[in-house]
Amino acid sequence: MSKSTAPKKRWLISQAELEAWLDGIANARTLIAPRQESGIILYRPVAKSGEIAWHGQTSRSAHGGRPVLSVKEIFFPPTERLFTIQKTGQEIRLKETFPDWETVVFGVRPCDARGVKLLDALFLDTNPVDSFYARRRGNTTLIGLACKELGPTCFCTSVGGAPDDAQDVDIMLYETDGGYLAEAVTEKGRFLIPGGEWKETTASPQQSTYSGQFPVPEKGKWPEHFNDEYWAKMSERCLSCRACAFVCPTCRCFAVRDELVKPGEFERIRCWDSCAGENYRLVAGGHRPRAEKGERLRNRFFCKFFYYPEQYGLGAASACTGCGRCIEVCPVGVDITEVLMHLEKPA
Amino acid sequence: MYEPRIIAFLCSWCSYTGADTAGIARMKSPANIRAIRVPCSGRVSPELVMRAFDQGADGVLVLGCHIGECHYDTGNHRAAKRLPILRSLMTFAGLEPERLHLDWVSASEGERFSKIAEEFTGDVRALGPVHWRVNPDRKQVASQMLAASREAIPYPETDCAAKTDAIRKKARELLANNQVSCVIGYEVSRRGRSRPVFVYTPEETGRLVWNPDCTNNLTTYLPARLRPIKGKEPPKPVAVVVKPCDSKAINVMVAENLYRRDQVYALGVACEGIRCPDGNLQTRCVTCQEAVPIVCDTLISGATSSFIPRLSSYAREEIAELQDATPAERLEFWLGHFDRCIRCYACRQACPMCNCPVCLYERDDSTFIGLGIGLNEKRTFHLGRAYHLAGRCVGCNECERACPMNIPIGLLNQKLAEEIEATFDYRAGLTVAPSPVVTILSGEYKEG
Repeated sequence: MSKSTAPKKRWLISQAELEAWLDGIANARTLIAPRQESGIILYRPVAKSGEIAWHGQTSRSAHGGRPVLSVKEIFFPPTERLFTIQKTGQEIRLKETFPDWETVVFGVRPCDARGVKLLDALFLDTNPVDSFYARRRGNTTLIGLACKELGPTCFCTSVGGAPDDAQDVDIMLYETDGGYLAEAVTEKGRFLIPGGEWKETTASPQQSTYSGQFPVPEKGKWPEHFNDEYWAKMSERCLSCRACAFVCPTCRCFAVRDELVKPGEFERIRCWDSCAGENYRLVAGGHRPRAEKGERLRNRFFCKFFYYPEQYGLGAASACTGCGRCIEVCPVGVDITEVLMHLEKPA
Repeated sequence: MYEPRIIAFLCSWCSYTGADTAGIARMKSPANIRAIRVPCSGRVSPELVMRAFDQGADGVLVLGCHIGECHYDTGNHRAAKRLPILRSLMTFAGLEPERLHLDWVSASEGERFSKIAEEFTGDVRALGPVHWRVNPDRKQVASQMLAASREAIPYPETDCAAKTDAIRKKARELLANNQVSCVIGYEVSRRGRSRPVFVYTPEETGRLVWNPDCTNNLTTYLPARLRPIKGKEPPKPVAVVVKPCDSKAINVMVAENLYRRDQVYALGVACEGIRCPDGNLQTRCVTCQEAVPIVCDTLISGATSSFIPRLSSYAREEIAELQDATPAERLEFWLGHFDRCIRCYACRQACPMCNCPVCLYERDDSTFIGLGIGLNEKRTFHLGRAYHLAGRCVGCNECERACPMNIPIGLLNQKLAEEIEATFDYRAGLTVAPSPVVTILSGEYKEG
């Protein structure tokens, strides 16, 4: 479902050609791809294409091949050192360390690519620009892989995405009979494609199967639900862990702290944080504005469907990409689609 | 020549004075020892020892008064119970056991202090530098799961309809008679997933179900619901659906004064096992020894019960396999797994025994752990949590199930459960008795 009007350049390649190409990329740059690790699939650096989990079904993952964590962790890692502080006598020296390597990410699903776009809005497009995120983002090329159909917890089509949406990646791959259809979406992507070696084609990719769409409440409808009793009720089972936020491609809260490395040396680190945790809004004096877990969980949904569009607009209906990871990891079965359906049509 | 750095926690009354005696008598003691004076060896909490290793200590020596001579009566008993358990945990995680030593030195035993210090330093020196603390820039090395030497057991066909009916009937009765304010049970979501549900009226009891996917340990919701709040009426009893493994948690919580036994109405289900998403029995069920709940007010049993203990003991084979490995291999195994941790705390939050108001490892002013999601912090959290569960973990293994990153956390808990059983002949939750390595400071359960 390419939204651009200009005809895209496309190539038809075999699995062997694709693997050879990826091997070449892995030799020259850092290649990150879905890889199986201890029974789950994660985006991890791979040394050769043979390490990639192509359609790996694991006992833990319902959606074949979808990594447990989104590509968010590549641009916005769980923990990042912002700078070190060295104190010698009266002198204080700050030292920044910027990530500086060229990375190619293979196997990015459209929902994850959209998540990166949504993160761009606040890390790149809103001042001040986050130089750490910007550095990683600028050095990274995204190779997308269209999903043929929606997985059991997926709902991207309900929140404005599509399993074959190519607009947020640099190169898009579609599975076809006996191989892949590659499409250069951006200049950066075009640069990676070996010109003469691949066979150009005019064929169009086969459309993926769309299924299970449901209506999602519009932004304007959210405020009226703020004081609903529903939040306290639906969150009763919530354990206040942070798994949903940490697997989410667009949850982006972080905490910053200075910590001692060794006497005389400190570092300022930032790491993931989540509004689901009990300490998230603890303020000086011990007050907790969101003491109840219903209030905290409500914040998660409001953040996705009201606060984000309100703050960053961009025509994005929501900061939810419909990847369904939060549904899959929740230990107690909290289900975002249930919340949306309830708000759209209160029972 | 390599000289180890050794942290010695010395009890102020006996051992510190003993060290002094050695000094006054001009006896030779190794200069490797950095003494930290503590009021009592019972004050040396496992977190302090772990922190010392996390900060790069090559060895930790804990010295207290001889048994029977503690100036606080039983402080050294506490040390004598705790530290061997801590040592076995850290050994399991890859530390050489010789690096942690507990001994007794009285104020007059200067010579004994000097001898112990000399020997311990020699032992640690022979081991060479410690590899416990991890360089934060360490390259990621994944650990694979241990090869399952045991074949997966498919979930047996069982009839759940009778149990579902029995749960609904009893729940309706309890709510109609106003015996409980709420029934915590399982429901099936629109998506077909079994999950916790809270039922407050007899009309809603139709939502309650029983099936082989009812994995959650619902007792984890109890402490918050049964905690008395000042100025408010004491909370009414709550009914909870429990499996045999879950039910043991009630005994531990009652022993720890989190609520009274009469505040909980246990709907105990005779359980044939719970299955994984792939259709096989969960690990905890393979080693399960209880067909019916230990804590139970009404037994929910189906028409036929097909429970067969699958193994003759609770033991998990992986533990023996890991114990046969070298310390370096164990260290790598655990680091490779902890590397995946994202500190989402799903394990802790799912755990009925993790019910501290604020977790020691999440306090803003915690001196035991940083904020980062780095390897050192992650290991400290997991080992610390495992230690805090020693003799308290009932083996429901919900932590491992809840982990989105598939970290075999349950192995740590199981290892300590085995250790506690071997040392104290005690298994958590079989009776209302607190863990032998836990000291409960608050007295009885108090109203308001």
